[in-house]
Amino acid sequence: MKHRSRTTVGGLLLLILALLVAGCAAPVSAPSAAPAADAAATEAPAQEGGFTIGVSNTLVGNGWREQMICAIKAEATASGLVDQVIVVNRNGGPTEQIADLEGLISQGVDAIILNPTDREGLNAVIEAAIAQGIVVVAVDQAVTAEGAYVVTNDQVAYARIGAEWLFETLGGQGQVVEMRGIDGVPADTDRHAGFQEALAKYPDIVVSAETFTGWDPSTGAQQALDLITTTDIDGIWTSGIDYPVVEQFQTANVPFVPIVGADNNGFVQQLLELADDGLVGAAVTNPPAIGAVGLAIALDALTGQNPEQVTLLTPALFDTSNVEGLQGLYAPDQQVGWSTYVNIPPYTSYSGSADVSACKAPGE
Amino acid sequence: MTNRLAVPFHHPLLRTLWRNSWVLGVWLLLFGLLIWYSTLIPVFGPFQIASITKNSLPLVYLAIGQAIIVVAGGIDLSLGALLLLSNVVAARCMEGQPAGVVAAIGVALVAAMALLNAFTGLLIHRSGVPDIVVTLATSYIWSGLALWILPSPGGGTAPEMRWLFTGSPSGIGGSYWPPLLMILVPGMLVALWARNTRPGLTLYAAGSNRTAAQLAGLDVRRAKILAYALGGSMAAAAGLATVAITGTGDPRFAVGASATLNSVAAVVLGGIALTGGVGNLFSVVATGVTLIMLNPILIAMGVNSNNAQVLQGVLIAGVMMVGGLSTFLRERRS
Repeated sequence: MKHRSRTTVGGLLLLILALLVAGCAAPVSAPSAAPAADAAATEAPAQEGGFTIGVSNTLVGNGWREQMICAIKAEATASGLVDQVIVVNRNGGPTEQIADLEGLISQGVDAIILNPTDREGLNAVIEAAIAQGIVVVAVDQAVTAEGAYVVTNDQVAYARIGAEWLFETLGGQGQVVEMRGIDGVPADTDRHAGFQEALAKYPDIVVSAETFTGWDPSTGAQQALDLITTTDIDGIWTSGIDYPVVEQFQTANVPFVPIVGADNNGFVQQLLELADDGLVGAAVTNPPAIGAVGLAIALDALTGQNPEQVTLLTPALFDTSNVEGLQGLYAPDQQVGWSTYVNIPPYTSYSGSADVSACKAPGE
Repeated sequence: MTNRLAVPFHHPLLRTLWRNSWVLGVWLLLFGLLIWYSTLIPVFGPFQIASITKNSLPLVYLAIGQAIIVVAGGIDLSLGALLLLSNVVAARCMEGQPAGVVAAIGVALVAAMALLNAFTGLLIHRSGVPDIVVTLATSYIWSGLALWILPSPGGGTAPEMRWLFTGSPSGIGGSYWPPLLMILVPGMLVALWARNTRPGLTLYAAGSNRTAAQLAGLDVRRAKILAYALGGSMAAAAGLATVAITGTGDPRFAVGASATLNSVAAVVLGGIALTGGVGNLFSVVATGVTLIMLNPILIAMGVNSNNAQVLQGVLIAGVMMVGGLSTFLRERRS
């Protein structure tokens, strides 16, 4: 009996607490109506500067993504229009990113730049942000939300441009290897489509092997070593795992074959330094500085300059014959995995790799 | 929970307060954090309340499930994987279906996962293999199965279902009442059930001292299976909440793994002893929300996001130490 009354009191207590939650919610919600209307009103007139920018990223510890965030910070500093950059950076899926985006909306940011985890899953929260007058820019990967700006690297062209260079260099015939990324990932699917487009134009090129590196340097190196020591190949196309592959030629003491990679610092260095040893290759750009392009577009939208809704960055190709171009890319102070193509005219205004690697937002 | 300890108060109300001091503490901590958060951001209104409550739903459900299992003397590392499985099956089957069918699928999923995890509980009881080993193994099975059902993110659900968990048919910006009720009612029901019914109290007895419970004539095997079944059904509910929030299914292993770890963190913070038999289930509702809120609070405070995780860990450790210290002082006084 005594026990029962105790638990009843306990239950009542919990109920009171629950009502408190609700009670706490009600009074605070009343004054919020006015500022919310305020936010909607700011949509129309363009502002001069002093913006707060929110950044949402959901893959931590990845060099490309970290450089993307640093490019946003560097451009924010260089633009002079930004007061603060709030970066929400943690590992997660759509659930976490929705929470992060709602947190940024709550903080009253002027624009949000996100690298989306899902093409459609974030649309509701993005559209809610836009309805409050926040400019939303999706970079690297697209979203289908109405009113969002989208900036992506053209992955189909990335593969096509590089593969066409390779097939042309080989004189339109020979055996090539396609070293892909991760099966099923949109970027890999798009790049494979681009590779196939190029292949269709060169009927005498034979793809003797196709591997998945998982965009992992050590996996790619092992595959390359196996291939160059056991089979006869005339050229290699890689989906960005490039400098480890070149190293394998040196390890196995096998003559170089023409190779296509990305704008990784280590690869650019090899293209410059090993040219005399017979290395022929081409670096195709896949810039993480796309984050800075996203910021430039967000600032254009905020200052009333009506930028394009969709921006597709076409990759550039730098081959061993273009020594000047490669030297322009090469960043001796950076790591091998650093993406060297950091200046993207006409969008970026910082001055090169040093600014980006400093990774300083205004006020930091 | 604290029956073994002397209670320094004689008035029944004060005694109840004292006995439930941890629950009160974590709820007060949550309210403190909410008030603090409201001062950090320009506007704190219905949008923020709906956002916090709905985003907390999956973790709170998972934490309630974990708490039941821990109270009964187990621990389930497969709950996050069950969340994944429920999430992808729901997203896959519910897409384009009318509300009635979606509701039926939801109920069926909760029942199926209860059955699935009841089997895990039976397996643990029969084999004598530690809970942590069996559930680690099943976690790989369930997440593998999830990837097989939905190889890459996709699927969908009905707007009515999204409304139920988020307060809006589109998953954002609606009323905060549906998510608020969805977060409080299950927690209250489970907590009252566990403290007031014979099967509920059997969970505590079995978790506190298995042999003593057995000698007292309680069915320990049934208690374990029941705890795992309830845990499985809560994980299924967490998966349904996830599909309602995002509108898609996401089969990635990392999502499930971090959900499992967070559920254990919420249970520990909630004052539920990992040794079993001790703790009030309603406190994990507060600690689940607290864990979700830490991230936006730290960001709003301007803490570098790379350091936010470190601070989260420090906060958990700090709260645990305060709790441990208070228990120590209490025992000394008695």
